[in-house]
Amino acid sequence: MINVVDFPVPAAAPVGVKGARLVGLRSLLAEKFPAVETKESGVLPTGHAAFDGPEGGLRRGRLTEITGSLGAGPLFLELLLTILAREKCFAALIDGGHSFSPEDYSPDALARLLWVFCREAGQAIKSADLLLRDGNLALVVLDLQWLAPRDLQRIPASTWHRFQRVVEKTDAVFAVISPRPMIEGAAVRIAVRNQWDLRAMRCCRSKLMSELEVQIFSRTTQAPPVWSRRSA
Amino acid sequence: MFAAIHLPDFHLQAVLRLREELRGKPVAIIHSAESGGGILEITPEARAAGVTEGMPDVQALARCPALEIRSRQPVQEQAVAAILLEVAHSISPLVEATEEGVCTVDLRGVRNRDWSDWGNEIITRLARVSLVSRMGVAPNPDLAWLAAWRANPVLVVQQPELFLRDLPIATMRPSRALLTILEGWGIETLGQLTKLPSADLISRLGIEASQLCERAAARKIRPLRLVQLAEEFSEFLEFECGIETLEPLLFVLRRLLDQLTRRLDGVHRVAARMILQLALENRSDYERDFIIPAPTCETEVLFRILDTHLEDLHLEQRPVGVRLTMEPIRADHNQLRLFENPLRDPNRFGETMARLIALVGPGHAGIGCPEDTHHPDSFRIQEPCFHELRGETTVAVCAVGLPLRRYRPPVAANIRQRDRSPEFVSSAVVNGPILDALGPYRSGGDWWDEKIWQREEWDVEVARAGLYRICRQENEWSVEGCYDTGLC
Repeated sequence: MINVVDFPVPAAAPVGVKGARLVGLRSLLAEKFPAVETKESGVLPTGHAAFDGPEGGLRRGRLTEITGSLGAGPLFLELLLTILAREKCFAALIDGGHSFSPEDYSPDALARLLWVFCREAGQAIKSADLLLRDGNLALVVLDLQWLAPRDLQRIPASTWHRFQRVVEKTDAVFAVISPRPMIEGAAVRIAVRNQWDLRAMRCCRSKLMSELEVQIFSRTTQAPPVWSRRSA
Repeated sequence: MFAAIHLPDFHLQAVLRLREELRGKPVAIIHSAESGGGILEITPEARAAGVTEGMPDVQALARCPALEIRSRQPVQEQAVAAILLEVAHSISPLVEATEEGVCTVDLRGVRNRDWSDWGNEIITRLARVSLVSRMGVAPNPDLAWLAAWRANPVLVVQQPELFLRDLPIATMRPSRALLTILEGWGIETLGQLTKLPSADLISRLGIEASQLCERAAARKIRPLRLVQLAEEFSEFLEFECGIETLEPLLFVLRRLLDQLTRRLDGVHRVAARMILQLALENRSDYERDFIIPAPTCETEVLFRILDTHLEDLHLEQRPVGVRLTMEPIRADHNQLRLFENPLRDPNRFGETMARLIALVGPGHAGIGCPEDTHHPDSFRIQEPCFHELRGETTVAVCAVGLPLRRYRPPVAANIRQRDRSPEFVSSAVVNGPILDALGPYRSGGDWWDEKIWQREEWDVEVARAGLYRICRQENEWSVEGCYDTGLC
């Protein structure tokens, strides 16, 4: 089940000479290599409807917050590794609480994931800053779910505004996994509503993913920053 | 044709190359401070002040009080000799290190061209690495050597007889005794010498006269003693006193890098590896090896790598010398991959990695690779090599259950059991009755040595707390991690 909240339709960009060339090149590539799927440039598709939402993927150059129960974060990381394998790109996981367990994931996919484990929230924030400014990685995930609420409260709100300004200049997806909504300026907030019991431990992960109950909140770029809800 | 490249005032150039502050000043080179020998080589400014070669240093100082007297620097001389050979090897693979500051290149097989323009290009290349050179081009190696000594800056010998005719015999550097005899006979030029009957000359003056005649006739092409191109490029600079802050060290490193990158560029190579060595006051060395993710010879990129590393470096002793060594490879001209998203700037990523490791500590950032064991939470951190990653990546689709979040280290727990199943958990992170449990999952390993281990794991659902993994090892219970805690 997916709940979606106000998504504005972006205005079409004027097509100039360069745009026409780009369209021509894309059509040529599509003709020559039909197996390769062309994608919208503004989003990174996860291939999973719950996270993709109506936009078709995670927004590039924007801050996305993923909140919910503790199991939601590792499932999102599973999804992240699938994206890396499919897109043949690279990502970083900043593990704020040093809780990531690499043996639970495919070793091949881990080869595309830079894992940074930190001792405190300050280190995690600085690491995220370095990696976002680097601009080489398609995804940067800051996992703060395992940190104590007291440590999270110490992170100044201005940090997230600064991150938003930094990530705007790149085409990276910046996802912050937090135990509860805490980033006011997040462009997209994905709230996972599932609560698992012991039966989940016998289920295939792909089935668990398909059963995700997600609510997506989106901040429009044109409208004032007000959160509103609408059921899909 | 053969070309001889000559670096005049070789010892002086070796000293002045990395000492820009001495340019334009009266400088003299002596053999060594201890030997007390006379002046070996001087700059034009020193000559203008009345200093000449062979003069005792005390006398030279009396004539020119501002004279800077420096000892020969064998390390720098080796570096200059290496540069000369590198440039020569970029012209032809057949190169001879003829003597100090002179090398000869075999150009046979090279199409005829305007040798003068070509020679000027080579001289310009050497000037880029702060070396003044001269070049002689001639039909044989000995003649090319002679031409190089008289060139200004390039001399092409088309008619050997005409060139040799008026050349003084002293230019061939015969022994003093032989030169005196010939001067006594009134023979002063090579033209006069070659007119003498060689058999009579040899019978009177011996084997040395024979060799002199052969070289003066310049008809014979002697085989060159070929040398190979060095596999690494190195520059060294010794400080006059220990360096205490970063800025002067970076200044010197920048200068060394400039030289090395120009040398690499000259032979169409790029740096794949860079080794920084700092000679410390207590005669020990600090060494750091840098693998360049995307081999390059761009000074800025290489300098940033050094700068990033040195920013966080603290040494017990002051550095008194620095050596920078580059391992060259051919530039990679691989086609970019159309359907992959490689790193845009691998060198920048390498720099970011260095900063990250400085921030979080070594072994806290990299690729998490599970070890080849069934023991839980066994992994090693590898340096990421994203720029080398090729091919498909497969992801296992058969993974079962929620992934675990680990407590590191595991949290000690008290478990109450009923019928061998856990019934109640009490620990610093979770307390409560266990509603349901999956297990036991038993594992063990390393039974062949002292590290033998056996463990029993349970996945448990704790009332109003969530899903946890508990473990018993050596009769001690612990909470290993958490799968889910329910909604916050």
